[in-house]
Amino acid sequence: MSRAAAPDDLAVRIRAATEWSAGHRLRHAAQSVAGRAYPRIFGMLREPSWLFFDLVFPILGMAAFVFLLRSRGADEAWISATILASALLTFWTSVIWMMAGQFRWERDSGNLTLYITAPVGLGAITLGMAIGGAVGMAIRAAIVITAGLLLFGAQYSVGEPLLLLVTLLLGVAAMYALGACLAAFFLVSGRQADHLGDLLNEPMQLLGGLFAPIRNLGPIGLVAIGILPLAPAADALRQIAVPQLAASGLLPVPVELAILAAMVVVFGILSRHALGYIERIGRSGGRLLTRAD
Amino acid sequence: MQTDATGFVERAPRPFGPLRGAAADAARSLIAAARLAWAIEGNWTEPFYLAAYLIVRPLAFLGLFLAVLSIGGNLHPESIGFVVVGQAIFQVVGAALQGPTQALLDDRERYRTIRYIFTTPSSLLPVSVGRALVKAAIAGISAAIVIGVGALLGMPLRAGGVDLPLLAAVLALGLLSIVGLGIALGAICVQLRNDAWGYPQAVAGSVFLLCGALFPLEVLPGALRAVGAALPITWWIEGVRRALLGTTSPGLLGELPTASLVALLFVGTAAIWLIAPRLFVLGIDRARDKGYLDRNTAS
Repeated sequence: MSRAAAPDDLAVRIRAATEWSAGHRLRHAAQSVAGRAYPRIFGMLREPSWLFFDLVFPILGMAAFVFLLRSRGADEAWISATILASALLTFWTSVIWMMAGQFRWERDSGNLTLYITAPVGLGAITLGMAIGGAVGMAIRAAIVITAGLLLFGAQYSVGEPLLLLVTLLLGVAAMYALGACLAAFFLVSGRQADHLGDLLNEPMQLLGGLFAPIRNLGPIGLVAIGILPLAPAADALRQIAVPQLAASGLLPVPVELAILAAMVVVFGILSRHALGYIERIGRSGGRLLTRAD
Repeated sequence: MQTDATGFVERAPRPFGPLRGAAADAARSLIAAARLAWAIEGNWTEPFYLAAYLIVRPLAFLGLFLAVLSIGGNLHPESIGFVVVGQAIFQVVGAALQGPTQALLDDRERYRTIRYIFTTPSSLLPVSVGRALVKAAIAGISAAIVIGVGALLGMPLRAGGVDLPLLAAVLALGLLSIVGLGIALGAICVQLRNDAWGYPQAVAGSVFLLCGALFPLEVLPGALRAVGAALPITWWIEGVRRALLGTTSPGLLGELPTASLVALLFVGTAAIWLIAPRLFVLGIDRARDKGYLDRNTAS
């Protein structure tokens, strides 16, 4: 059997097609980010039931905490803080299951092979997941806050809306950057990934001081505020939106903002390395592409 | 060994202990399903990590509620007891209520084995019950840990010791009732195209809010309080509180004599088991006819 000879200029043509200018690479990455973010933002228009389930759990949890506080005759300011915490929790839940657990789910449904073989970096795909997830969750968080205002009469007094916005943006960015790191970790952890997700739920809500002041955790709270984005984000948002509870804050808001900014940078760098590692071993051995269960 | 006219080997029905015929088959299926459930739920990691997982998560959950409870003032031992028992028992409720649906959906979509199980002579009912019981048993370990930690935190136990006969009666009836509700829920969820995984969680979350696990029913608005008071899970948790702590909940539920509470739980459990297996068979038959047992919703 004769074999067709490769064209002499094949290597040159491949190089020409794959050596992109910086502008081309940037455009391509931006398109990839937008492409991956799109279904996360607009998907709920096609599946409204997703929105229902994304809302029912935080609202039920919120109601449980509010009734618990009311049974103890707690200050109404804490009820407003609980509703704010429930809104923040929608982002954290999305970070666990729609960022950290996502690549594992993609592998089981067969999409990860496509991601690995496509001429798109996992970094762009992950950034698209994060941006789409954050925008989608912002809508859900707004609905949770509205439900809290209507059902439980929550009251907020935001003297510095810009500061609130910056805190929210930094908090969400830090959480999703951590989610990108965890995505790689979950993928290599096989069957343990679901349970790891569970461990990131209630224990992190406790360590993050989401529903009660992190100050009460003592030295553990200080450690948590340095490594867990949920902690400084929840503490700072509570101080800004419910000023009556400012005294319950562990650190001043500017310090917590600086911690969040540092987390965005550190987790961003770590996730870049972790995703690069996954991409490399995924392409070379194919080991990560096989189902763990 | 005998062969019939078609050449198939006729086997004498194998007994299972004192059980014969269909009951023996069901018991064998249940045990096989329970062993499988242990392999899935309890054997996913090293024993050390499993133990850490079983301890960390429920204690964090408990810590979360106690932290919130402390906002309203100093923690009283009675308040700790109320929350500890409610939260511990709800670990089992959540696992048993969601267990059958998760088992059916896991077998249909994740492992894709439900069609093969269906073609065996075994019924899916004991398979689902076996899977749910193991999930409940694993959650029971967490519940015991939570109650043990509660006791260390100063939770006052019943004067004269735990009422063991009452505890055994309410635990058995409560577990039966919740597994019954779980299999009814499984029969419904297997019909669904979207979000079948989400419904059991939503039901468990709603029950958590209504059953007085964390706070007395009196805190709930009127209509929700009535719904909560009518749930067997509410009676179950109240029965366990009386057996362990020797105290009753505030309000109407607390005024109910213990014998009446157990009788109510018994009647409720009997009613559930009268309906749930029939609903399960109907649901699975419908799912088979409609081709839902081969469905993959990719959710």
